[in-house]
Amino acid sequence: MSADFENQLERQTMREPPRQWRAEILAAAASSPPAAIAARPWRSGGGLSSWLWPHPRAWAGLAAAWAVILLLHFTAADGPRLARNPYGQTRQSIAIMQQRTLMMAQLLGSMENDASFPALPASPKPRSERPLKQLVG
Amino acid sequence: MKEMASTPDIQRLYDDHAPALFAFLLNLLRNEADTHDVMQELFVKLARRPALLAEARNERGLLLRLAHNAAIDLMRRGGARERNYDQLAREQTELFARSADPDEQVFREKLAEALGELPAEQRAVVHLKLWEKLTFSDIAQTLEIPLNTAASRYRYGIDKLRDRLRPLYDEIK
Repeated sequence: MSADFENQLERQTMREPPRQWRAEILAAAASSPPAAIAARPWRSGGGLSSWLWPHPRAWAGLAAAWAVILLLHFTAADGPRLARNPYGQTRQSIAIMQQRTLMMAQLLGSMENDASFPALPASPKPRSERPLKQLVG
Repeated sequence: MKEMASTPDIQRLYDDHAPALFAFLLNLLRNEADTHDVMQELFVKLARRPALLAEARNERGLLLRLAHNAAIDLMRRGGARERNYDQLAREQTELFARSADPDEQVFREKLAEALGELPAEQRAVVHLKLWEKLTFSDIAQTLEIPLNTAASRYRYGIDKLRDRLRPLYDEIK
């Protein structure tokens, strides 16, 4: 029965759309201009210019900027040897630092032996070690 | 590089597919004004974006899918406006062509009513299977549902229609 029933349903003819709809709908469609949507370049296969879609000038500008960056990079590489060798710079800095530390130590040593500099006051003894008289007043 | 819509293409699309789209949408929406709006929206979209159909292998399938999506959107928007599409579905809709045979005419009217009682998702599957002669695989693609879901919705829908129309069907058989 199921197949017969389904065949019976299939035989029922659907209504057609009202005739005036054709003119109305086509008029509405005709009054809607195509949107300015470019085709996707990887589908159209239009060469390099289409591959650079949508803004070939922007891509060219970006390429030029990278060229300038690379040029500056390689130019800087030919500058002072120190700039190319950070370890050399570090070694030199360490030597200067050691020299300054030595000078500072010498200066401090001479200050300690110099009588013109007043000695720093000695820190007070702990309370338990002070004489009783001093504590009572 | 722009793709231009050509009017003859839209006319050809309308002549080839409008009857099928009309029947499908009217069965889904159960309202002529909404069906008109969705069809117009669809053809305007095609005129504006002809690339939509440029690479379609199955023109009818794609149009049915676009129509289905637009109808679902409209029903959801209608829901937001408190328009009751379930209620509309139960109202009398002249879905089928008039028949000269009175028994056949009564059967068509009762069938339209019975279809209106189905949930929209079952109605869509039943319509595509019976009146568009799509396979379950095609229906699954068109409605973007799993194949098993398409098959089970059809089965539930047909069972309900058979139960509802059995006395009348037995009478005219």
